[in-house]
Amino acid sequence: MDAVERANADRQKRWAKDQKIGEGTYAVVYRGREIATGRKVAIKKIKVGQFKDGLDMSAIREVKYLRELKHQNVIELLDVFSSKKNLNLVLEFLETDLELVIRDRSLVFLPADIKSWMAMTFRGLEFCHRNFILHRDLKPNNLLIAANGQLKLADFGLAREFSDPGYKMTCQVITRWYRPPELLFGCRYYSTAVDIWSVGCIFAELMLRTPYLPGESDMDQLRTTFRALGTPTEEDWPGHTKLPDYVPVGQFPKTPLRELFSAATPECLNLLTRCLTYEPRRRISAKEGLYHPYFSTHPYPTHPSKLPKPAAKMGSSLPLEELDGNTEPIGNGPGVKANPPNKLKRKLSSDDVNGSSRSIARRLDFTQHRPTAQ
Amino acid sequence: MSTSLYPLASLPQIEKTPSREDGIPDGLEEELRAYGCKLIHEAGILLKQNQVAVATAQILFQRFWFVTSMKQFGIGDIGMGALYLASKLEECPIRIRDLINIYDLLLQRKAHIRAQAMASRLASTSAHPRTEFKYTPMSYFGNTFYELKDALVVAEMQILKRLGFNLTVVLPYNTLVNYLRVLGLTSREDVCTKAWGYLNDALQTPVYALYSVPTIVCAAILLTTRHLGIGLPSAPENCWWELFDAEWEDLWNVCGYIMRLYRERTSEDHTRVMGMVAKKGVRQWLEEHRPAGGEGH
Repeated sequence: MDAVERANADRQKRWAKDQKIGEGTYAVVYRGREIATGRKVAIKKIKVGQFKDGLDMSAIREVKYLRELKHQNVIELLDVFSSKKNLNLVLEFLETDLELVIRDRSLVFLPADIKSWMAMTFRGLEFCHRNFILHRDLKPNNLLIAANGQLKLADFGLAREFSDPGYKMTCQVITRWYRPPELLFGCRYYSTAVDIWSVGCIFAELMLRTPYLPGESDMDQLRTTFRALGTPTEEDWPGHTKLPDYVPVGQFPKTPLRELFSAATPECLNLLTRCLTYEPRRRISAKEGLYHPYFSTHPYPTHPSKLPKPAAKMGSSLPLEELDGNTEPIGNGPGVKANPPNKLKRKLSSDDVNGSSRSIARRLDFTQHRPTAQ
Repeated sequence: MSTSLYPLASLPQIEKTPSREDGIPDGLEEELRAYGCKLIHEAGILLKQNQVAVATAQILFQRFWFVTSMKQFGIGDIGMGALYLASKLEECPIRIRDLINIYDLLLQRKAHIRAQAMASRLASTSAHPRTEFKYTPMSYFGNTFYELKDALVVAEMQILKRLGFNLTVVLPYNTLVNYLRVLGLTSREDVCTKAWGYLNDALQTPVYALYSVPTIVCAAILLTTRHLGIGLPSAPENCWWELFDAEWEDLWNVCGYIMRLYRERTSEDHTRVMGMVAKKGVRQWLEEHRPAGGEGH
């Protein structure tokens, strides 16, 4: 055994693996703990298949970016070690995620609560962007919530560094309902504004308690978006008709956001509008977002520890496995085609999650129980 | 977990690399490192891969040999694994089959060159008939592909594991542009090209695993300005490299590493490394050069 293997074995000894809590396309997640302190952790064991082409791209991205990012509002990668053929990521253990919170009908959100979640989202995102990293898969389900109420960005399986100007990137990123129109039009050069659009959708969803723009296909996503926000004119978004996959999807009038978000304050609506601006260059940046008056006017954000949280044990009417439209080629869920999804954003709050049947239950849950926004 | 932006080898790792521990002499290790990087570079060109991925692969490759002996893994396999991994890291993934075909071609060509050189050495004086190199593609379902693929997958994982999954690589090019600007040298195209070239050549040496990027960039600028006879303030109190937080001694070391690449080599030296692309060759060499009465190391 050489020095490297000894070091690896020492690292491995720090962590204990307990029961399995989920399985996905490229990894199995276990609940675990740090032996010395008893601190709860999640251990993500990445399968390295003999038949696959080496290590999965999302696993590599996740390791690469989480190794670099340390921030209160970004999930922490505590350690990485290998066991025989596998790669193990030790992540901090997080109780729940924003999607479960939104979906729990027994919880009442105050405007101050929404402000608090938004502030934490912007903070985490600003940190990523400051470090030149695009998240590219923001959705409530990827915003995990720690026991102390802190919200953390997770799942960096689609993340990447900003590319050099003129270097093409894939437009098949971001779960459809949170995907900005420029990507739907096939834009291959983009930047931080794509994440901001997702944040805007999440913001709206927090207020509506239902997905704001639930498109059924990429085409329908555009239609849904335009129906909600009005078809962009050349003035709103110069040059958008020249984008590679541009297709006219019909003319919809602009309805003031106030009609749908009737209880929102003017600052709140202004921030929402700035996030859901068609022209990517005019969309607010994460840093500007943090300085937006919305965050400094009454009511002030709720302290994270006082935010509403789902009850420890979920009712059976609320399936816990995340919806992952990404894996299923059929069906209407939002999807990302280009990359295999990270199926495992820890559904760690649940002891009893078991694989595929759950995700189907969740999928049905989406379409059956939840009225669409429009 | 280390908090530094990118990892550098530690003093004990530099003083005694695992390969040296296994009895591979300094010089030979240096040659093998350089040769492995050349293979990565050639493969990168044939694959039309971006230079960022190639450079990243070479840096990962160099780091790897500070934690692993060449007796344990071959420079060919690890080079291939590094290029494959770096291509994913830099968001320009390549097809596994393309990479394997290219490495197969390169290795066949090297084997041919080596065989030619050995044959002509045997036939010393008489003109030895040279045969053209002819590439025999591997069969689509043949074993070669699967063997190389297994080696590649293992190499990728070993690189990850042995580098502690620390995949941060910082490339020197942006820094070079900035420094040349500060020094007012950007108008000299020859300076830019030459310095850029030194940075690329330095990828064949371990310096990216030993020194920080500013030091390496300063060394490239130092070599360039000396060769082109450009004067920069170098008297104590006013040394230009101090502006970039580099130490003279480190600069000079990096220059030494780079300049050693250009030294004259005998054809024996060339064929020797060609025969050691796989660990088998290294082991055989160690076997033949075992110190009398000694048991390995």
